[in-house]
Amino acid sequence: MDMPTTKKKLGIKERYALMTRGLDWETSYQPMDKVFPYAQFEGIKIHDWDKWEDPFRLTMDAYWKYQAEKERKLYAILDAFNQNNGHLGVTDARYVNTLKLFLNGISPLEYMAHRGFAHVGRQFPGVGPRVACQMQSLDELRHAQTQIHSMSNYNKYYNGLHSPTEMIQKVWYMSVPRSFFDDAYTAGPFEFMVAIGFSFEYVLTNLLFVPFVSGAAYNGDMGAMTFGFSAQSDEARHMTLGLECIRFMLEQDPDNIPIVQKWIDKWTWRGIRVLTLVAMMMDYMLPKKVMSWKEAWEIYFEENAGALFNDLARYGIKMPECAKQAFIDKDHISHQAWATFYQYSGISNFHSWLPSEEDKDWLSAKYPDTFDKYYRPRFEHWEAEAKEGRRFYNTTLPQLCQVCQIPMIFTEPDDPTQICYRESDFGGEKYHFCSDHCKHIFDDEPEKYVQAWMPAQQIYQGNCFPEGADPTAPDFNAVEEVLKYYNIHNGRDNMDYVGSEDEKNFAEWRQTSTKN
Amino acid sequence: MGYDLTIEPLGQTITLEDGQTILDASLRAGIYLPHACGHGLCATCKVQILDGEVEHGEASTFALMDFEREEGKTLACCAIPQSDVTIEADIDVEPDARNIAVQDFAGTVSRIEALTPTIKAVFVKLDGGRAMEFQSGQYVNLHIPGHPELTRPFSIANAPQVDGEIELNIRIVPGGAATTYIHESLKAGDEVTVAGPYGRFFLRTSRATPYLFLAGGSGLSSPRSMIHDLLAEGCTQPITLVYGARNRGELYYHDEFVALAEAHDTFTYVPALSDEPADSAWSGARAFVHEAARDHFGNDFRGHTAYLCGPPLMIESAISTLMQGRLFERDIFIEKFISAADANQVRSPFFKKF
Repeated sequence: MDMPTTKKKLGIKERYALMTRGLDWETSYQPMDKVFPYAQFEGIKIHDWDKWEDPFRLTMDAYWKYQAEKERKLYAILDAFNQNNGHLGVTDARYVNTLKLFLNGISPLEYMAHRGFAHVGRQFPGVGPRVACQMQSLDELRHAQTQIHSMSNYNKYYNGLHSPTEMIQKVWYMSVPRSFFDDAYTAGPFEFMVAIGFSFEYVLTNLLFVPFVSGAAYNGDMGAMTFGFSAQSDEARHMTLGLECIRFMLEQDPDNIPIVQKWIDKWTWRGIRVLTLVAMMMDYMLPKKVMSWKEAWEIYFEENAGALFNDLARYGIKMPECAKQAFIDKDHISHQAWATFYQYSGISNFHSWLPSEEDKDWLSAKYPDTFDKYYRPRFEHWEAEAKEGRRFYNTTLPQLCQVCQIPMIFTEPDDPTQICYRESDFGGEKYHFCSDHCKHIFDDEPEKYVQAWMPAQQIYQGNCFPEGADPTAPDFNAVEEVLKYYNIHNGRDNMDYVGSEDEKNFAEWRQTSTKN
Repeated sequence: MGYDLTIEPLGQTITLEDGQTILDASLRAGIYLPHACGHGLCATCKVQILDGEVEHGEASTFALMDFEREEGKTLACCAIPQSDVTIEADIDVEPDARNIAVQDFAGTVSRIEALTPTIKAVFVKLDGGRAMEFQSGQYVNLHIPGHPELTRPFSIANAPQVDGEIELNIRIVPGGAATTYIHESLKAGDEVTVAGPYGRFFLRTSRATPYLFLAGGSGLSSPRSMIHDLLAEGCTQPITLVYGARNRGELYYHDEFVALAEAHDTFTYVPALSDEPADSAWSGARAFVHEAARDHFGNDFRGHTAYLCGPPLMIESAISTLMQGRLFERDIFIEKFISAADANQVRSPFFKKF
């Protein structure tokens, strides 16, 4: 008779390994490198895909259950928020402009992230990263969807939210976040993982995410806040995926180290430039402010990312050179960006305003070394001009940086009174940059960046007018025609907040909700 | 109060303080549980409760779903046990861990020897001829006689094969109450109590890879115990000890290791002095431990399993050197006492153990 044996219970890790490993196979009638054509062309050397350690152990079965419950909870709260006219409970309708920025400029990127992870997941020969990318791809699709649903409620009441998928492709400033993702998406699979999985989702995510979610909470927007919490439980998984991918590349072959360093340098800077929009939102657009951009930068980059780079130093990875400039820029970029949107709010899909006396004092206190000296005089000058009936709208299109596509508004790191200009020659043409770091990125891959779709140049080339517009007609109004092409309603979606339909409606609706 | 927390698959049990979270208690006991945000939002620290009751605390309803609460999941960073609790965490099963139960042993100081001007060897004979079962590399808590509150952890310096007597090598810490007492007042015949064995620093013999020991200063105890253990068990893998001290006077058990290297083909001994006078008779390396190791291995540590013991700065330098020589976290083990200060440091989640 057989003796009964007591089997040792398997640990979670072993159970997961048995369930997920060995599902893959070697192809027989096509060579593997033809099936995975992008796995090698970036120069990254992988010797053993089995050394990939899944940073989280989640099966598809559990994944569906998990996300389904999240959806139920999120939509229950969104419905309650909408039915109770939650939008009338926000501090001030100026707050809605931060949502216009986020829902038009960021939400479409969630969709691009969904496509990106689906794409690179297909390209990795290893089964571990392939499954992880598949899940992240689905997460990103969910984020895009839920954000669009949140937006649709605000779109019923406020202007500038009616056409995000169109605007992300056309409106001048939207080319900043869009070109960031286009750059990542058109890179190879390993660079995409460093760009989005590591630099964006790990190094910089708190600087995007915390300001918007806390901003929503501080300003009474329960809907956006709940969305934030629902997404954050996914973000943790995204962050660990980015980290594991970096670790994997660094450990697989020493030749990978300089390549990874180059990508970290590039994508940290690309991310920092996009975050200029967040800096401006925090310091100027939230009626009730959470913390200054500078404070957020110090906590989430200097302290937290500093600890990360101390760890990476053991692999021979250094803190990106651009961090030095970002350290100086933290005192300047939010002011420079809002000054730009104030001048160009004639062609924006959200409103602008000058900081109030109270706001200016807050900015002086948060930026003691720079605000009073360089920026308060500028805002006060515009204020005086506006009082005289000369509200300043800039109608000359700005020169753009060929890489980050931000107008050339940033100043020299060692002289905040001089605009920083850099240039490179390529193929008989001159290209312009906002900084040494953007120039450096261009110089490394000029063939890629000469193809950039530059909004200002496109307008001058006549590519941003609606069909049938005739630029040779004597009464041709270029600004009017560009706004039509952007699908921005002139006089309603754009220009000053004060006197806008949003301001008027919000005041009226709020009154009717409290009086008879 | 003081509920017990048992952590599977380690099978290790620790006693909780009132109101302590599962994560906090585990980390302080030297058991790494995966975690990130630390306040119930990210779900990285999710564990399965096999037995007992917990309060879920601040766990977000998005990070810990209702269906998961019903399935007995909890977030270790927020969960406060309301009874004795057994959890299953997503941590590596250690095939070489023997999980020997901790016990208190009464003993008598049998002799004290000066090893260097700053380090003494204290030998404790356990009462009633008892022997302490332990894995080489583990430590004991020594209770200082007459000072009930004064206990200090010391690694066991002898191999487990030595019966009935425990050797502890103790460096005097300037101004340290316990080590000053040991150096100046403790004498043969004194009665002491030791509790042990503790710690998860032990030989990973099942890996069947060459052994590399990097030791600095009084961090020699565990490697010495481990090397004697390996040689006594007839280990056939190559064993290398890189051992550093400031000067010849602080380099102890040197002659013993020279003799071991002569007697065993598989054992290589690389001593290094970092601050030895240039005109002395020393013919070995004049370098720090990590430098001596890098030179000896030509900056290529692949295929080894490394064991690191010594002061924090030496450990830091050694980790960087090993990683640049292509040996990574999964193959590096560190003897580390986690203190409350460590838990409060800003650190990235990149490494688990370092």
